Amino acid sequence: MKEWIPLFVVLPLAGAFIIPVAGSVWKSTGRVVTPLLMLFLTVFSLLFFSFKPQVMVYYVGGWEPIDGIPVGIHFVVDGLSVLMLAIINVIAFAASFYSLSYMHRFTGDRYFYTLFCLMVAGMNGVVITGDLFNLFVFLEIAVISSYALVAFGIEKAELEASFKYQVLGGVASLLILLGIAVIYWQTQTLNLADISVVLQEAGNHKTLVFVQMLFIAGFGLKAAMIPFHAWLPDAHPSAPAPISAMLSGVLIKAVGVYSIMRLFFNMFAISYEISMLIVIIGTVSMVGGVFLAIGQWDFKRLLAYHSISQMGYVVVGIGMGMVILSVNGDQRIATLAITGGLFHMVNHAIFKSLLFLNSGALEYRTGTRMLREMGGVADQMPITSASTLSASMAISGIPPFNGFFSKLLIIIAAVAGGFYLIAVLAVVVSFITLASFMKAHRYAFSGIPKFKGKNMLKEVPFTMGLSMVFLASMCLGLSLLVIPFLRDLVLAPAVDALMNMLHYSQHIHGYTL
Amino acid sequence: MFMSELHIVIFLPVIAGILLFLLPERVFTLKGVLSVLVAAVCLIFSFILYFETAATGTLNLGKEFFKDGSLLNTLLKQTESFAAMHTDNLSKLIVLFVGLFTLIVSVYSTGYLFPKIRPRHYFSYFLITAGCANGAVLADHMLLFIFFWGIMGLTLYKLIKGHTSISASTAKKTFIMIGASDGIMILGIAVIMHLGFPLSISAMDIHTGSFAGVAAFLCLAAGAFTKAGAFPFHTWVPDYASYAPASSSAFLPASLDKLLGIYFLARLCNSMFVLNDWLTLLMLFAGVGTIIIGVMMALMQKDYKRLLGYHAVSQVGYMVTGFALGTPLGIAGGLFHLINNALYKSGLFLAAGHVERLTGRHTIDDLGGLSKVMPVTFFSVFVFSLAISGVPPLNGFASKWLIYQGIIEFGEGPGLANQLWVVWLALAIIGSALTLASFIKFISGIFLGHTKSIYRSVRGKDMLYCLPQAVLAIICIIFGVFASNWVIPGIIQKVSGDFAYPGIWESSTVSVLVMISIFAGLTIYWLMRGRGFRVDKAFVLGETQDHKTGGYPSGEYYKTITGNQVIRMIYRGAEKKYFDIYDIARETVLGISKRLSWLHSGILPVYLIWIIAGLLVMLIIFM
Repeated sequence: MKEWIPLFVVLPLAGAFIIPVAGSVWKSTGRVVTPLLMLFLTVFSLLFFSFKPQVMVYYVGGWEPIDGIPVGIHFVVDGLSVLMLAIINVIAFAASFYSLSYMHRFTGDRYFYTLFCLMVAGMNGVVITGDLFNLFVFLEIAVISSYALVAFGIEKAELEASFKYQVLGGVASLLILLGIAVIYWQTQTLNLADISVVLQEAGNHKTLVFVQMLFIAGFGLKAAMIPFHAWLPDAHPSAPAPISAMLSGVLIKAVGVYSIMRLFFNMFAISYEISMLIVIIGTVSMVGGVFLAIGQWDFKRLLAYHSISQMGYVVVGIGMGMVILSVNGDQRIATLAITGGLFHMVNHAIFKSLLFLNSGALEYRTGTRMLREMGGVADQMPITSASTLSASMAISGIPPFNGFFSKLLIIIAAVAGGFYLIAVLAVVVSFITLASFMKAHRYAFSGIPKFKGKNMLKEVPFTMGLSMVFLASMCLGLSLLVIPFLRDLVLAPAVDALMNMLHYSQHIHGYTL
Repeated sequence: MFMSELHIVIFLPVIAGILLFLLPERVFTLKGVLSVLVAAVCLIFSFILYFETAATGTLNLGKEFFKDGSLLNTLLKQTESFAAMHTDNLSKLIVLFVGLFTLIVSVYSTGYLFPKIRPRHYFSYFLITAGCANGAVLADHMLLFIFFWGIMGLTLYKLIKGHTSISASTAKKTFIMIGASDGIMILGIAVIMHLGFPLSISAMDIHTGSFAGVAAFLCLAAGAFTKAGAFPFHTWVPDYASYAPASSSAFLPASLDKLLGIYFLARLCNSMFVLNDWLTLLMLFAGVGTIIIGVMMALMQKDYKRLLGYHAVSQVGYMVTGFALGTPLGIAGGLFHLINNALYKSGLFLAAGHVERLTGRHTIDDLGGLSKVMPVTFFSVFVFSLAISGVPPLNGFASKWLIYQGIIEFGEGPGLANQLWVVWLALAIIGSALTLASFIKFISGIFLGHTKSIYRSVRGKDMLYCLPQAVLAIICIIFGVFASNWVIPGIIQKVSGDFAYPGIWESSTVSVLVMISIFAGLTIYWLMRGRGFRVDKAFVLGETQDHKTGGYPSGEYYKTITGNQVIRMIYRGAEKKYFDIYDIARETVLGISKRLSWLHSGILPVYLIWIIAGLLVMLIIFM
């Protein structure tokens, strides 16, 4: 199976080249190729769940290690990568299928599909690469295509948002690059496993702390953690809806949170101070994001702020696990916290993408993103209304939807681990989340219609509706991951990959202490 | 046994509800008839369940249908580990009444819900609610309990149609309050796990000596209070009652939410936790506070559905008081009052819905003299009003009597809460008197006096409306007349434990005496007819009442209360929602939000400075 790992990068990359070329002959190339490609990748990534205990390594170009020292680029697929691949490709499939109808409003849709494929290639690359510099390259592929996609509407607001996003994203990239340079200077290697081995021998010192700060700031910006979040509320709402879904649903996870997890668990040695810092940043984001969200009247902007808040939950969950591991606390609580964090990440990918698709559906029919200008669409748009409700319930943590269970795990882990304040804050943030989504429902779906053309209102086209129903049913279905059997299948390998910190380098490097 | 009563009362309504989503809204009546059938089946099985012995076990989800070791088999097996169920006399009794109200309200809803106020998929959510209520009551695993409990919040939200901006806001407020309380309960569960207790409701026995124990109790009690509508988490109830369809109000805030909230409170106070003195004091305070605040607000209402909403709050106070006492007498009183209140309060909402449906008016002042055109409804409302006001020999009196006796008996104890028994007793009795006052307003304003001319043509004898009300009224009478010789020993004491019945009160004897005195009064009236009477003008509120306008201006009855400066200020504040916990929280959150938004100016250099500053702060701390 491991020979096929590069397909995750090769296929979307190939798609990105074929679409503009063939698209000049047959205009529908992108519309046909992209969803099929994403469907294939979805199935392909789900297949990998059946090989759970293995860490699979693919040597790019056949550059095998010499004397145990890696010389080429490795693609590594372990439990965490499989989970990320599944999230990325499932959401990409839903978003591309949704785009078939949605992107009719835009001209030049083949460039859209080109950039879309490029972004997916970049994200898939980030999560399977075992090389630090290669990670940076894939990260840039993903974010640069996202800069272009944010500006896809080429109106004033979109261009402004994209410009801000580029400048701030550029700063983050610089910080990351600087960090990589320092790492390379210190360790003379760029292979994650190899760096980990060298660092274990070298021990902890000031330069390393500096690099960790750079990475927290850089990847923190990509993950939109407060105070590095300022680009997100402009960029995510400005993109076309399926792209917003991709950005909020997967991009911030794949290039931001995933990188933080991978580097801090598997490359650096966990320290108590850094873990606490991550918990604090997560908590601030969780609380700050939701307070900012509830005041918004632009539906997509409200959703964007919620992304900050919800990613806060994820980071808090994982950070609490790190803290407990760093002080050699109860392994079970650490497992619970990390499971909660990862579970919430999966759930957030589903419900937030769905919410952005819903916001697109509302905009598609009512012509506005402002909540106060909509109203009363529930009867004419039952599918949009019902799927929005399930996503809102999921994000607010109402049973039987998936968000309830992941928040439950995080809160239980917080109390069990002694993070009482975080537990209380998580609950309070959960109320405010519920309140802000109730506000959205009250203004968008209930009440009296206020927008133009309300008499011609009808449900969205088929492909948009189907994508939303697909994700909405996943909001319910993923609740089952709380059952131990499915949890062991899907989440536990990823949790193990993080918990057994040294296993990653040992397996790839063959190094044992 | 694979299929048991438990499966039917939980899964049948839920599955039927989900299947009803598939039927189009056009066939509403068909959906209604199907729901009535499902509800009837459930009620029958609740009856069978009621006479079975108490048991603890796991719910069989059908793993036998799949090969051992297969995927679905493993899944179901592991799901079953959460599906611990426990039936005892309390839960069986509650399930029985859930079944009864589901049937009665489903019959009523079929006739009542006309398209303009009909929420989408009403019967689907209705049946899911019923199934989840049974699930929550029968669940033994805390997580399963909170799962069912949480779904009921969502269905409550879906049973109000947000077609106007005010009803949409009400739906929003309701769900935010209910959802928030569920979140607090999760925190309570987390604390219980942290304390090392198994999450089994029947096996829990937590002492509230430690801070963590108190915190867990308060978190869970907040959930029960919000569901039942007790002070200070009651504020959604009057709003919901005003703007939701009457059938939804009768179903959830008046009956099922009360049954569930108080059921859980009973479990909390009397089996899961051992309350310390301060918590008992707090609970009693909340109880009598709820009684007085609810009834004082009810006195001033002009909208009759809102008036009922405040009474739905006020009555909860008696139950909270009863369960807080913790003695068998108090528990019996609280439980009996819970059932009685659900009976007459849902009946009152059904009657209010009937009045609203026929007249289209919301305020008492617009109505008058409807007793002639709606005789059955008038009779039922008359019974319900006397019952809720605690007039013997009706059921409301019987349960309040137990609570009063319970308080007096409680006063013999040594604690601070015990020493204050006079306060609790006095406030409870005053609350009862004020309830009577506000129901005089309700009945005389809507039903008494001459029929207003515009309502003379009203046809108020539709079976679908009248039958449910009449059934409830008759149950109220039966539960009152046979309280001391059948209902309390036969039903209530099975749950609360035995106690010596206090005083010489004997409900059937008293009922006979009451009947005799009424009969004697009627005889005297009949004998004296035409002699010794003179007909004169009626005086109401110091003014002559004109026969032609019809009705009584009962909206003005208690206006003089606001003559007092302080009370007037409190009422004004309440009208502006200064005391509403929801509005206080809302203003706070939006205030913070505004401040934070101000920082997000959209200016790029500012954002850059944040990043640099963030990085610098981290570097300074860690380097």
